[in-house]
Amino acid sequence: MSAPDLLEGTVAASEEALWRIRLRLAWRGFRKGWSSFVANRIGLVGLTIITLYGLMALAHPILMHTVWDPKIYDPVVGYDAPVTTKVIVPDGEVVDIATQVDLFSARLINPMLKVGETLDVTEQPAAPSRTHLLGTDPLGRDVLSQLMYSTRAAFMLGIVAALVTVGIGTTVGSVSAFFGGIVDTLFMRLADLIILVPFLPILIVLSALFHFELLHLAILIGVLSGFGGTAIILKSQALSVSVKPFIDAARVAGGGRMHLIFRHIIPNVLPLSFLYMMFSVTDAISSEATLSFLGLLNINMSWGIMIYTANSQGYLLSSASYWWLLLPAGLSVTLLAGSFYLVGRAMDEIINPRLRRR
Amino acid sequence: MLKYVGKRVAQSLIVFFVFLTATYFLLQAQPGDISDQFLSNPKLTQEVRDQYAERLGLTGTPLQQYIRYIKNFTTGNLGVSFSEYPRQVWDILKERVPRTVALFFFATLLSFLVGFKSGKVLAWRRGKRGENLITVVGVFFQTVFYPWFALIMIRTFSFNFKLFPGGKFLNVEKWIDKPDTFDANSVFGRMLATAAVLGLTLLVLEVVTRRMHNRVISQRIVWGGRILLVGIVVVWWMTVWSVMLPYALDIGDHLILPTITLALIGFGGTMLLTRASMLETLREDYILTARAKGLSSKTIRDKHAARNALLPVTTSLVISLAFLIGGGVITETVFSWPGMGQTLLSAALQEDVPLVIGSFTFIAVLALVAHIVVDVLYMYLDPRIRVGD
Amino acid sequence: MTFDQRAAIATPVLDVQHLTMHYTVKKGEVQAVDDVSFTLAQGEALGLVGESGCGKTSIAMTLIRLLADNAKIVDGKVILAGTDVARLTDEQMRKHRWSDISMVFQGAMNAWNPVYKVGDQIWEAMELHFPDMVETEGRERIAELFELVGLGPELIDRYPHEFSGGMRQRAIIAMALSCDPKIIIADEPTTALDVIVQDQILRELKHVQETLGMAIIYISHDVAVIAEVSDRIGVMYAGKLVELGATDEVFPHPKHPYTYLLLASTPSVKGPRRKLAPLEGEPPDLLKPPTGCRFHPRCPWATEICTSEEPPFNEISEGHSVACWHTEEVPELGRLEG
Repeated sequence: MSAPDLLEGTVAASEEALWRIRLRLAWRGFRKGWSSFVANRIGLVGLTIITLYGLMALAHPILMHTVWDPKIYDPVVGYDAPVTTKVIVPDGEVVDIATQVDLFSARLINPMLKVGETLDVTEQPAAPSRTHLLGTDPLGRDVLSQLMYSTRAAFMLGIVAALVTVGIGTTVGSVSAFFGGIVDTLFMRLADLIILVPFLPILIVLSALFHFELLHLAILIGVLSGFGGTAIILKSQALSVSVKPFIDAARVAGGGRMHLIFRHIIPNVLPLSFLYMMFSVTDAISSEATLSFLGLLNINMSWGIMIYTANSQGYLLSSASYWWLLLPAGLSVTLLAGSFYLVGRAMDEIINPRLRRR
Repeated sequence: MLKYVGKRVAQSLIVFFVFLTATYFLLQAQPGDISDQFLSNPKLTQEVRDQYAERLGLTGTPLQQYIRYIKNFTTGNLGVSFSEYPRQVWDILKERVPRTVALFFFATLLSFLVGFKSGKVLAWRRGKRGENLITVVGVFFQTVFYPWFALIMIRTFSFNFKLFPGGKFLNVEKWIDKPDTFDANSVFGRMLATAAVLGLTLLVLEVVTRRMHNRVISQRIVWGGRILLVGIVVVWWMTVWSVMLPYALDIGDHLILPTITLALIGFGGTMLLTRASMLETLREDYILTARAKGLSSKTIRDKHAARNALLPVTTSLVISLAFLIGGGVITETVFSWPGMGQTLLSAALQEDVPLVIGSFTFIAVLALVAHIVVDVLYMYLDPRIRVGD
Repeated sequence: MTFDQRAAIATPVLDVQHLTMHYTVKKGEVQAVDDVSFTLAQGEALGLVGESGCGKTSIAMTLIRLLADNAKIVDGKVILAGTDVARLTDEQMRKHRWSDISMVFQGAMNAWNPVYKVGDQIWEAMELHFPDMVETEGRERIAELFELVGLGPELIDRYPHEFSGGMRQRAIIAMALSCDPKIIIADEPTTALDVIVQDQILRELKHVQETLGMAIIYISHDVAVIAEVSDRIGVMYAGKLVELGATDEVFPHPKHPYTYLLLASTPSVKGPRRKLAPLEGEPPDLLKPPTGCRFHPRCPWATEICTSEEPPFNEISEGHSVACWHTEEVPELGRLEG
């Protein structure tokens, strides 16, 4: 081929697939990040747990529409209390709650009963059985159904809070870094104030004054986190990006301020933002569960509510063991919140420029 | 150094004002008027309502209201509690504050000491065997759902093993025969005073003997001093305050489990961070120099490495302060430990607004003070950031 | 006094015999130091020179026994003040460190712990090695040492970050002298300093050494520095000592090809103009060093025997030893065409 033909061909080829080239590079970057991520076992464990819970969340509506009868299995209004015949034993001598009941409780139903007689008791809460794999709660509702339903709430809460945190944090951080001066001082002082005062008490106070539902809580958590610690960290990242030569080049090429912030700075801050999104999901899930456990939230079902219901009716600290009321819910909060944290830590080692030099 | 403390205190006062202003606007932002809160409370007489309306500044211009609000707060007039009417909020909190401070302080101290010590030793050993296990344990304590964890602690140690009481401040049955000359608060106050005096004198002892160069004599003084001090305390409580001793022990008994539980969730992070920080520090040149000088392993580990590894850990302590205070609130709730946190919660549940705001303010003040203390501590530890002039 | 006279009088303060040190990595054993022997007389300045990775720092660390966990002394003796310290346990070695042999590390400015005062860090070593010394006595001594290195006594109670780089380096030298060692090892004492400070520090070291009469081992890759301060030079290559002799002998008349090429590749500002002879190739991998003479792959005069048999380290004239099969091929320095 002659030289002009070669040149033309090259120019045409490069013009043609700019977006395709970008996509390929992005895909390659992702694949590399993915393989380092997988090499880190912690992240993998976290991701696995998240996937399992995700499947649970998806499975619930399917089950409700097919196998499970809503009247029994609805997490909020279902009711099922198997009737069991139990033997009455003296107070404090209950060894097996599945087959025995103490005199005091029996007399609440029928004052004339004596030790040794039998009584038909409606079990609330009921121990795990074939029909109720994790038993029922004090109001007769299926625990497994509650668990799976709450997963949806947890994910929704986490995602909303995370998006809000990252949205606000990235913007505040980038703007702060880019403009500097009084804008920077203002935002950073605000962030200092926010991280100074303990998070939970703030939420408690706000819950007392304003009555929250799940969505409100998610947004509130997002706002507080976004203007707080995340803003500081992302600003420092934005700062290190903004002094890189390519920013100057873009500016010289005629880029306006908005253009610089949105097309150049923010995309380079995003990987770190994404990382902190993980931690903010952890915080959101834990906070909601804690607030529900304390009885401050106005939502109908979540893991925290499950523990709250059990605790407020005294089942958790009684002598008999109602483990199915405490273990699945508490474990789920720990696992799901924890798994996002693990994923975050694994991502930290890949993305965070400070750690990468190792 | 003193100038720095002054600067920090001044800064904190400004922050406190901003905080008060923020809470004021928060109150105003509530749906409805604040008067709705107490108008619906049947316990209050018209007289009090009028008084309250004036005190809370529902009369006058917004600016007058705001100034009155600030004035009230700074003079300690935090209003009357709705739920414990007619007790003043200030009185209620005055009683509860020492309990929270005690719990928070001991738990923080414990978690920090254990976390740092274990992190330091683990980094020095550098053994591959326990490495993963340690990380798992540390991460577990960092991510576990705290209320759940606290409940499990109570169940295990209180119910199953019957080692400690399952909550509350004291065991009412044991206090039935108490003479009327003192009450629970004064016993607790004396306990705290003892702890403070003991702690301070031990600290002074440490600092004084560190400057001494004769090892043998200074060691004798340190240990002799420690034994003497503890002895004095024991004798004091068995003679001068002997009548209060069984009650003090009862309260102390109730303090143990909540403190340990709160300390456990803080310790994981500290341990992991200390270990990482130590490993970094051990790579520094001055560690090599210390070895070349012929110093013993223990000296190198403690005097040189750990002392420098302490710096980032102290910085992280600042951040985890807020976390520990929040954890303190949960601890108090689950253990029914009657401190500020539990007060905050029950007030919130009963919508006792003055008490909520009051407790929250105290908590914020605690956070501010703790922050200053750690900042000053850091300045003492790192000569590089001290402002020379 | 010249070197020869001194050597005649004193017994060597350090006697290294066939020292061999390896360290273990995943792929095998790195032969970092191989069969190195030399002596050091009291008050003598020995310079060890060579490329990076040739083993000179390894030797230093071996002498003071500050090796990493995966390193071991495979063979040889290090006789210091009458004791073979190569065979001691770490605990036993602690006694000798600093009081018999001390070291000024590379980039020693960072050798200060930032949280303690400089004086306290020096006193720490003295207190350990002289248990009967009182603090006031110690302070006096530190003040004397500071004066010797050109620092004022008020600096004793300052923190390291209050010193400049050059001052820190001097203070390090003072610290190295604090326990009256018989030997100081100065590993790249002037790298990381600017040229003017470099000169000052070198003068300082020489002054100190002559005043106190202690032996010193200089380690550097910078031939010019070594030439200026050493009485004797040892040239190292790939873990082996290839040439050893008096400075004013080795430099005009190098007898090992490597020494020659090293010197010839260094331009001289003051000396006669000569054509530069660059050194081709790279130092060998010490996991699997070349057979025979380790320098043969890069040597312009290598022959058959060089690839199969290691040349012995022989004394070819008074105090001048070389390990090479073809020392006669090595030209005189300064007599190059061009």
